[in-house]
Amino acid sequence: MIKKIYLIGNPNVGKSVVFSRLTGVQVMSSNYPGTTVEISKGHLLIGDEKIEVVDLPGTYSLEATSKAEEVAVSLLKEHPRDEIAVINILDSTNLERNLLLTLQLIEEGYPSIICLNMCDDASHKGVSLNIPKLEEILGVPVIATCAVTGMGIKLLIGRLKEAARAARGRLSTEERWVEIGKIIDQVQHLEHRHHNIRERLEDASVQPISGLIMAAAVIYASFKIVRFVGETIIARITDPLFTQVYQPLLEKLTVNWQEKGFWFHLFIGDLINGKIDFKQSLGVLTTAPYIEVGMVLPYIIAFYLILSLLEDIGYLPRLAILLDNLLHRLGLHGYAIIPALLGFGCNVPGILATRVLESKRERFIASTLISIGVPCVPLQAMIFGLLGAFGGFYVGGVYAVLFILILVLGVILNSTLKGYSPEFLLEIPPYRFPPLHMLGQKLFFRIRGFLIEALPVVLIGVLIINILLYLKLFDIITGIFAPIIQEVFGLPKEAIVALVIGFLRKDVAVGMLMPLGLTAKQLFIAATLLAVSFPCVATFIVLWKELGFKSLVRSVLIMISVSIIVGAALNFLILR
Amino acid sequence: MKKVSLIDLKADHKGKVLEISGGTNLQDRLMNLGVYKGKEITKLSHIGLRGPVVIKIGRSILALGHGVAAKIIVEA
Repeated sequence: MIKKIYLIGNPNVGKSVVFSRLTGVQVMSSNYPGTTVEISKGHLLIGDEKIEVVDLPGTYSLEATSKAEEVAVSLLKEHPRDEIAVINILDSTNLERNLLLTLQLIEEGYPSIICLNMCDDASHKGVSLNIPKLEEILGVPVIATCAVTGMGIKLLIGRLKEAARAARGRLSTEERWVEIGKIIDQVQHLEHRHHNIRERLEDASVQPISGLIMAAAVIYASFKIVRFVGETIIARITDPLFTQVYQPLLEKLTVNWQEKGFWFHLFIGDLINGKIDFKQSLGVLTTAPYIEVGMVLPYIIAFYLILSLLEDIGYLPRLAILLDNLLHRLGLHGYAIIPALLGFGCNVPGILATRVLESKRERFIASTLISIGVPCVPLQAMIFGLLGAFGGFYVGGVYAVLFILILVLGVILNSTLKGYSPEFLLEIPPYRFPPLHMLGQKLFFRIRGFLIEALPVVLIGVLIINILLYLKLFDIITGIFAPIIQEVFGLPKEAIVALVIGFLRKDVAVGMLMPLGLTAKQLFIAATLLAVSFPCVATFIVLWKELGFKSLVRSVLIMISVSIIVGAALNFLILR
Repeated sequence: MKKVSLIDLKADHKGKVLEISGGTNLQDRLMNLGVYKGKEITKLSHIGLRGPVVIKIGRSILALGHGVAAKIIVEA
């Protein structure tokens, strides 16, 4: 009787897509090794039986050589073997490399069933596999699937109960490779194909010169498209909705609200020239939804559209190759670019993704650098919205300061922390063009995630802020920190409220700056400080969980000291 | 026949792995990826200034950090 099903396979063979198909639980999948850093669990219904399905991180071997592999292997040993079934997922286009794990699973006596995934890709590439023959050699069921379209999944479920142990003597890894060579000769037939344009592009993107040109073009185009899509949504959809539909509605509803006391202050906020101003009123029903939906959401959509596309095509590992050199100087290696890019969306998944890095030292450096130098989309959207009005120079300036900070701090951390930076060793996936429905699903999943996490925090946050402002409780902090804020950073003392609220959410914090009427220089400094100073509460918690308390404290101390130095430097030296 | 490290092997050239110096962990990781003594590999490119080396092995493409590439000696 099967109580638990484990999905196991090499990195980047589509385990998570199979998992989603089996359980209906949507999980993130991309075209690069190591997308799954958290173990996902779901249930599969066969008749009346409900069986737990566990999606394990990718592993090349049962002899674990990395943390993610260790996790996968130890979970596999949790239950008695006769109560579990292992679905071993293989990439049909690269059977040879995938069979190493398969042989190990069979040798170890795990009841297994083989899922040859991406079989449509294989036929495009001229790879044909003799499945009955493979089944005969291995002695366990073999099913061809294409998880992105759902092909073969029903058959896989139907044959799950046939998952079997097969007799196979234990081999050394070297012997296993010889054995695999023999199996491949019997079951795989390669049809010679000429280099197509996709393969030419794959090749060009890892050559030094053409690779750098492509990288520059991809980054430039991504940035332009994100801005274009974001601005278009704001101009065409969200702004008209707020000013032409929502504002008249709110004004109608509140027209009889004569006494502008506590409750009015709480929900609508201050009227600017007798009217609601979404950027300055600061009410729970005015500025709060405007910040999240009107200013941030359009950029969230634009950013994740491009990121998801780059992820699924498989471009990111190639970017990692090109940046390996630079990142080595910061104590990291090329693959750190993946957590960094995810961090641009939101620091939380970025820091979680640092699990793709091997050592604790690397994860500390990467997490600290992401918290300091990688502004999340909500913060960036607000910076664009506010600072953009003063011209691209200032917006570019914030990015330049953050970039320099990452480099300088990375070099310092690398030379002061004990240990060394491990070497880069990464499999580069082929380019794949994801079906649009997969891309759409992923985008929807991420946007929904953003709304669920951000909206309640922002609405409740603004409510609490307004109560505190009304009771003048912020005046105490303002009084204490006023000298530092005014003398060192050149900001008005009210800006302290925004800096404190940065702990809650960075976008709301910038929102608090909107009514202050800051100059370009002050806004520049405040925005940079908000990016650098202190992580928001969600990032704080994930740093704690991932690094442990001691490293969290170290990391936060670094952030605070860096922000004081940078804020002062910007105020006194660079800007007039 | 000459013995060179993957760093010195020219791009677009083939070589047979002769030895992998370095710790057992590195050897194990490479072994699990199919890089072991006697295996034929093709070097695809090398990002200059101590950047990584990209190789083709079987049907896989692997990127190896400069330090790893220096430890793999091939017969060209």
